[in-house]
Amino acid sequence: MVLAGERVLAVPGPLGALLPGGAVQRGTVVAVDGDPGAGATSVALQLAAAATAAGEWAAAIELDASLGGLAAGEAGVELDRFAVVRRVPPARWAAVVAALLDGVSVVLAEVPAYARVGDARRLLARARERGAVLVAMGPWPAEAALRLRAGGSVWRGLDAGAGALAERDQRVHVDGRGAAARGIALVEAG
Amino acid sequence: MAERIACLWCPAWPVIALRARDPTLCDVPVAVVERGERGLVVIAASTEAVAEGVTPGLRRREAEARCPGLAVAEADPQVEARAFERAARAVETFTPRFVLEEPGRLTFPTRGPSRYFGGDTAMAVRCLDAVRDIGITDARVGVADGGFAAMLAARAAEPGAAYVVPPGESSGFLAPWPVAVLEDPEPGEAAELADLLVRLGLRTLGAFAALPDGAVLGRFGSAGARAHRLARGDDEATASPALPPPELIETAELDPPAVHVETAAFAAKALAEQLMARLGTLGLACTRVMIEAETERGERLTRCWRHEGALTPAALAARVRWQLEGWLTAEVGDDGSVDDLATSGLVLLRLVPDEVLPATGRQLGFWGGDPAAADRAGRVLARVQGMLGHPAVVTAVPQGGRTPGERVRWVPWGDPREPARLLDAVPAPGANVREAPPWPGAIPAPAPARVFEPPPPADLLDAAGEVVTVSGRGDPSAPPARLRCAALPGRGGEIAAWAGPWAHDARWWDRRARTRRAYWQVLVAAPDGERVACLVAVTAGHAALEAVYD
Repeated sequence: MVLAGERVLAVPGPLGALLPGGAVQRGTVVAVDGDPGAGATSVALQLAAAATAAGEWAAAIELDASLGGLAAGEAGVELDRFAVVRRVPPARWAAVVAALLDGVSVVLAEVPAYARVGDARRLLARARERGAVLVAMGPWPAEAALRLRAGGSVWRGLDAGAGALAERDQRVHVDGRGAAARGIALVEAG
Repeated sequence: MAERIACLWCPAWPVIALRARDPTLCDVPVAVVERGERGLVVIAASTEAVAEGVTPGLRRREAEARCPGLAVAEADPQVEARAFERAARAVETFTPRFVLEEPGRLTFPTRGPSRYFGGDTAMAVRCLDAVRDIGITDARVGVADGGFAAMLAARAAEPGAAYVVPPGESSGFLAPWPVAVLEDPEPGEAAELADLLVRLGLRTLGAFAALPDGAVLGRFGSAGARAHRLARGDDEATASPALPPPELIETAELDPPAVHVETAAFAAKALAEQLMARLGTLGLACTRVMIEAETERGERLTRCWRHEGALTPAALAARVRWQLEGWLTAEVGDDGSVDDLATSGLVLLRLVPDEVLPATGRQLGFWGGDPAAADRAGRVLARVQGMLGHPAVVTAVPQGGRTPGERVRWVPWGDPREPARLLDAVPAPGANVREAPPWPGAIPAPAPARVFEPPPPADLLDAAGEVVTVSGRGDPSAPPARLRCAALPGRGGEIAAWAGPWAHDARWWDRRARTRRAYWQVLVAAPDGERVACLVAVTAGHAALEAVYD
């Protein structure tokens, strides 16, 4: 038996305020999307931080090897409970995601362009069975309980030849059951 | 004083189990191997093979070289456990209180049976007769104070005979044994301890037992203190295990009833994990567990399994599985009779922690968080490493450096998480490592969420369309106005704001390794109005997109 409170993963901070109930449902897929530089990675890292803050584990699956470890730490991820699987070959992608869903609470998975709907549905079922949150980064070809789209953020602190990047207003469009339509969350501060 | 314990031991049980399953192997020398750190290693060998010099611990290839014609089989604990279930049933006829230690070895307190049969020796003979009746000829019984001494007494017994250590003489009996026997109840940590003791000149249990308690605890920790108690003949079982609270009992109802081992084992695995998680949150470890099952016809089956040290979820799940194999798999006896204990499917499965101790050594507190979660995560990460190779799974360790790429070391999962470079350029006394001041010239926070390795080439241009260069003194040729890079949306665009350059002259003392590089933070206006913050590095006039603040 699981209590209702155990079926959700509370997301602290401004991102949580945008989500229905301030949390993501365990056993569901959260699709995070956005152009390069729009802030999708930062949003995904905050979901990983929510897991490690609860004493649980998170993992990320990358097709290349570009995730910023320092940025993960700044987003609040406990780095000793955050494993990254890098340069996953296309043929093994679905198997690796499925394996991680077995033992890790939040799995950030970069979705390759070649991902098949069938694979995606199987992973969705696996996440539901294991009570894990699959954060799909990129073009997720199947259903998702929540879709977050980053875009239109505003950077502050940088001028023409002066200052440095300091903070940004991150805009996240939230779409899904019981979700507020859109909002602004300040996710980075220098 | 420790409780009187009898130990029934069948040497080379894997071989006996294998021959029971495959009678063609009865006439040839047999060795059973197991995959360990050193590859396939012999764990048990038949007497013919032992006569040719095949001993446990030998590698497969060497064993085959020493004994031509050796039949080698991989260990299968399930088959061994299932075969041992018959011995367990034979012992059950005269004592219900026995504990399975591993396939091939069980222990029970002698107080009741010995009084009934008229002494330890008479009881031991009776026990040997019972197992001989079911066809196990090479069984031995040891009786002593405490389980550890009883195990060694069984080892000292002649084949098919008993060895009884009189009450109160266990410590004297233990003294001459080499310290290496400490490995047996609890491999791994104890093997290191035994190795260390030998190097310190303490070759026998007696020499180790003579050390003062406090010194042993201080030098070897709680595992060492436990081994020390064993060596002295103070068995762990006397350390009054706490009575487990009844709410720790985990029960699963099986609907439809499980007739196949797989179905029941699947339910048992979840049950084992739940039990361990509950015990873990209470700070308890379980050393002995009762596995109970009920069948459709209302039969109740019970077996008690014990594990030196403490059971892990995986070890418990394996034992439950072995036991289910024993119950659910019909054994065909020599006379053709089908000997199947569970005559119908299982409807109920129950795990009762029978002996719990405060968890001392096994807590994974080092990682923080929930130890059960760490256990689960560790297992799947190891599995992914098995699929993709050891370096494919990494964790980030912050370290010293100037650029976002330099400031993180990616350490393969399982390797020590240590930075390669100091976090502080000058370590401040008493400084918190997380808040350490960055190296001088470091790119300020926030850190970019995407760091490219290798960085894709880019063009950093000024208003006139010329490439922006940085002089040796760190002065730019002109303010940057445009960034072109294939990796950016819309292949780049106008620069709305910028900072830099941060000039880095790395390894200036080494003429060949010296690199001079300048870093720019730029805010690029993408075609759709999005502002993309980038980190651009210029090396020898060539720009590259180092990172994106995604």
